[in-house]
Amino acid sequence: MFTDTSEVRPISNARLGILILLGAEMMLFAGLIGAFLVFRMGNVTWPPPSNIDIQLPHAITGVNTFLLLLSGYTMFRALRAIQKNLIKQLRNWLLVTAGLGFLFLIIQGSEWTQLVRNGLTLQSGVYGGIFYVLIGCHAVHVFGAVIWLLIVLAMAIAGRFSAERNTGVEICTIYWIFVVLLWPMLYVLVYLL
Amino acid sequence: MLQWLPPNVSTFGQGVDSLFHLIYYITLAVFILVTGTLIVFLIKYRHQEGRKATYIEGSTTLEIVWTAATTVIVFGLAMLSLPQWNKIKSPTQFPENPDVLVQVTGKQFNWDMTYPGPDNELGTDDDLKLENELHVPVNAVVHIRLTAVDVIHSFFVPQLRLKQDTLPNRFINVWFEATQPGRYEIPCAELCGFGHSGMLGYLNVHTQEDYDAWVRERWPSTQ
Amino acid sequence: MNDNEHISHHHEESFISKYLFSLDHKTIGKQFLIYGLIMFFVGGGLALLFRWQLAYPDRPVPIIGASPQYLEEGEVVTGADKMWERIYETDKEEWLEVNMPNGVIEPAFYNMLFTMHATIMVFFVVVPILVGAFGNFLIPLMIGTRDMAFPILNMLSFWLAVLAAIVMVIGFFVPGGHAAAGWTGYAPLSSDPQWTGVDWGQNLWAISLLIQGFSSLVGSINYITTIINMRAPGMTLFRMPLVIWSLFIVAILLLLAFPVLSSALALLIFDRLAGTTFFTATAEGGGDALLWQHLFWFFGHPEVYILILPGMGIVSELIPVFSRKPVFGYRSMVYAMIAIAFLGWIVWGHHMFQSGMRPALASAFMTSTMLIAVPSAIKTFNWLGTMFKGSIRFTTPMLHAIAFVSMFVIGGLSGIYMANTPVDIFIHDTYYIVAHIHYVVFGGSLFAIFGGIIFWFPKMFGRYMNDVLSKIHFWLTFIAFNCTFFPMHILGVGGHMRRISNPTQYEFLQGFEGMNIFITMSAFTLGIAQLILVFNFFWSMYRGKVAEQNPWQVNTLEWEAPTPVPHGNFEQIPTVYRGPYEYSVPGAESDWIRQAEPEHAPTSAGD
Ligand code: HEA
Ligand code: HEA
Ligand code: CUA
Ligand SMILES: [Cu+2]
Repeated sequence: MFTDTSEVRPISNARLGILILLGAEMMLFAGLIGAFLVFRMGNVTWPPPSNIDIQLPHAITGVNTFLLLLSGYTMFRALRAIQKNLIKQLRNWLLVTAGLGFLFLIIQGSEWTQLVRNGLTLQSGVYGGIFYVLIGCHAVHVFGAVIWLLIVLAMAIAGRFSAERNTGVEICTIYWIFVVLLWPMLYVLVYLL
Repeated sequence: MLQWLPPNVSTFGQGVDSLFHLIYYITLAVFILVTGTLIVFLIKYRHQEGRKATYIEGSTTLEIVWTAATTVIVFGLAMLSLPQWNKIKSPTQFPENPDVLVQVTGKQFNWDMTYPGPDNELGTDDDLKLENELHVPVNAVVHIRLTAVDVIHSFFVPQLRLKQDTLPNRFINVWFEATQPGRYEIPCAELCGFGHSGMLGYLNVHTQEDYDAWVRERWPSTQ
Repeated sequence: MNDNEHISHHHEESFISKYLFSLDHKTIGKQFLIYGLIMFFVGGGLALLFRWQLAYPDRPVPIIGASPQYLEEGEVVTGADKMWERIYETDKEEWLEVNMPNGVIEPAFYNMLFTMHATIMVFFVVVPILVGAFGNFLIPLMIGTRDMAFPILNMLSFWLAVLAAIVMVIGFFVPGGHAAAGWTGYAPLSSDPQWTGVDWGQNLWAISLLIQGFSSLVGSINYITTIINMRAPGMTLFRMPLVIWSLFIVAILLLLAFPVLSSALALLIFDRLAGTTFFTATAEGGGDALLWQHLFWFFGHPEVYILILPGMGIVSELIPVFSRKPVFGYRSMVYAMIAIAFLGWIVWGHHMFQSGMRPALASAFMTSTMLIAVPSAIKTFNWLGTMFKGSIRFTTPMLHAIAFVSMFVIGGLSGIYMANTPVDIFIHDTYYIVAHIHYVVFGGSLFAIFGGIIFWFPKMFGRYMNDVLSKIHFWLTFIAFNCTFFPMHILGVGGHMRRISNPTQYEFLQGFEGMNIFITMSAFTLGIAQLILVFNFFWSMYRGKVAEQNPWQVNTLEWEAPTPVPHGNFEQIPTVYRGPYEYSVPGAESDWIRQAEPEHAPTSAGD
């Protein structure tokens, strides 16, 4: 807005801001993961006797993990595209990414309904509780990120981006990559360990 | 200030009190040093016509001096308090085979005292449950098994210099050896609801004879 | 666009956009300041209420309490009696009837009072004023830029804080009363309504703090970005005023600490509303009673340093200015603050020594906690060093700064007792802790706040605060403060537990009644004193003596801006040539050299 506030900036405000936000996000998950570990260590058997019959769907979630990682790659391609000013590619890659994101959520949703039918609910001990809260917290983040993606997509269709003006895509990419990279950790922790 | 401490009647209380005194004198000295210097400076260097402030940016040596001094003092303190702490709180260092073992259960808003009875086994049918009354002999090692049923409470006997939170579904052991017969209060020191204020039990420290009498009266069966 | 145009076109904006939903960091700062002052009276009023109960247990509070005659013979003499008549006639449960029948404070109500007192003071007074008000007002001005990096987020952060306050206040009036599990909200007491009878109060408490979390998240993103990216030309990191450093560090602490509390609050809400058992230890796959404490204090201890660091920063501005001397050891002051911030993350266990945590762990926490005395020592002695051979002006802001130093030292030193595990066995959860709290947070943070308000008032509102009133307020506060809180050390040594509504229930506390009464008297005096401040504040806003641009002859950039500061702050972004504390430079004709003053002068420690 003011012409003379052009200090030397190693990175743009927007990019810096989003990175700082990620710091807070990490601490949020650190808190929940900490709680998970406390329960995990606190119980002799995991799942505890009360939920001993519960089987988390490792395999299908493994596939899901792959899908999400893939979406990270496609998002990256989207960014590359706009940096080369390829508006059309940008749109397509964004579309693919959003699609993959949705797919991830749908698969997870179906898993959850399955689990609930098998009797794993929020109320079934800390095992069920922390599972739904931790995984759910990530799912909410994915959902939010998808919405954000769609907004970026709309802006892309409206032709708001170019090789020079692509911050909007860039920060969305950073956030998306964060959400994507977070997932494998949770997968290993909650499903495999 | 420390003369306000309630009289100490436990074997380890002395150690706590002497640490308390030590820290009191150290911090008193530090406080006098700091405020003393402050006041002197305020008077000596108050604004006066014709006197200009001297341009001083700092002094590395001084910085090192007080950094080192403080470090030494606090580390010294930490080292001194470690043994005391372990003596009181770490189960590995408790005097074993206690003369008396009692389970104390905090619940809104009472202390349940469970005596193992002659067989010295908690959870057997000769157990005895009393509300808010704890009876122990003087000069004897007492082990207390602390737990709670609802929320967190805190077992506090000021004269013993002993305080330990009690957790639901967990057992925490503490010990003490009282040196003075008497009746002491056991307030609850952790907020536990509207009845927290007034949640109060009593520790009755008897002479050996009185204690034996009390036991005989409770468990006539035994000889 | 050229500035003058810009400024001019900003002059004709509507009241709404200028004062309510303003994007201007200065307005937002003032909004936070007034917000904090209002909440200060709420929190303080609560304190006075429960102080009455502690002095005169189960006696009706003055004014609204029923008269003795009414209590004995039921004869109506005072207006209050009439009110109670009316209340008892209506068969519906009136708020007063539930919480303080006849004006006597119920134990459950007492718990709610100190819980909300602390919650409000910590989250709605000290942090909003120190970080929200001073942070917003000072950062852009002192680093020489026109506004925050994200003005809209900035406004959002304020209105989220307002929303949080509204939610928090609503809690007082829901059935079951407000949260009553202490500001630390220990589970399972807080996580299961059946233990307290508090229903939505605790939920709203948690929700409000979640909202407050978003507010400070947004705020800290703004601060960090602004300080990293938008400093004026020549404003290197080590030319930044110490208060900016402190706010920078605090923003990082807030950013990283609050989300941990948010996670804990989320789990708490699930326990209360969704039937999970995260904090309820049961044999069958149940939760952990200590988990809450670990999460809360992992946030909580950094939080208490969030409460003090900006205060330290403010004091580090006031002392050099009024000693006309560079701050002693600028860089070590910065490193000390960074050290405090770092150590703050590894000491949370010192609140849990008696909680049943592993004894070996406690010893580790004791050592790390005591280490914090070291950077604190550096700061304390550097403040003294700054006054050494100075030319000290006893202006009211300086008086507050001096009070800060001595009071913070008392509070800090009492921390050493508690950090010492064996001693903490005795003083944990006694008034010794309460004394500590108030010496660091009132004697520390609040004195810094008072000093800062008086010091920057001329820049904020273009007028001085009335100095006579300020001085009266200072001395009354200083004396009443010590009379209120120093005796609490003695109560603590006597074993007087905190959070108890009626000390007379305990034999070993007989003999402390007198002291409790004295404390309450002093507390009321302390309260009255604050009324002077508030009157002075609002009166001076309109009637105060008009201030020139740089009344205290300060070097830092905020005083380069015209008074009152226009939108956009500076006609021309200043260029910085030296550190912020170039006072009494040898050879210089005046005893201060502004950071933005071109010609060559001896450069400071910080280049
Ligand atoms: C502004 C807030 C603030 C600050 C700055 C501090 C600073 C410190 N606090 Fe405090 N603290 C609180 C706010 C704060 N605290 C609150 C609110 C609680 C209660 C929470 C609750 O339960 O409700 C609490 C509780 C609390 C406890 C828990 C007590 C208990 O519940 O049993 C402990 C224990 O170690 C502690 C220790 C310390 C220490 C060691 C410091 C150190 O940082 C102090 C360092 C400073 C100095 C030491 C003085 C200056 C140094 C010198 C002059 C050098 C010479 C010194 C020596 C040689 C020793 N604090
Ligand atoms: C920023 C922090 C802060 C501040 C500024 C204060 C300020 C005060 N505090 Fe508080 N306090 C805490 C933080 C703070 N406190 C914390 C964290 C706890 C722990 C809570 C817990 O255990 O969970 C605590 C607990 C606490 C207790 C212990 C309660 C207990 O354990 O049972 C006491 C007891 O005296 C107390 C007193 C006071 C007093 C008298 C003031 C005074 O300084 C207040 C002075 C200001 C005013 C009085 C405002 C002026 C208002 C008026 C004059 C209007 C009058 C209106 C009416 C009477 C309705 N506080
Ligand atoms: Cu039980 Cu407090
Ligand atoms: Cu702490």
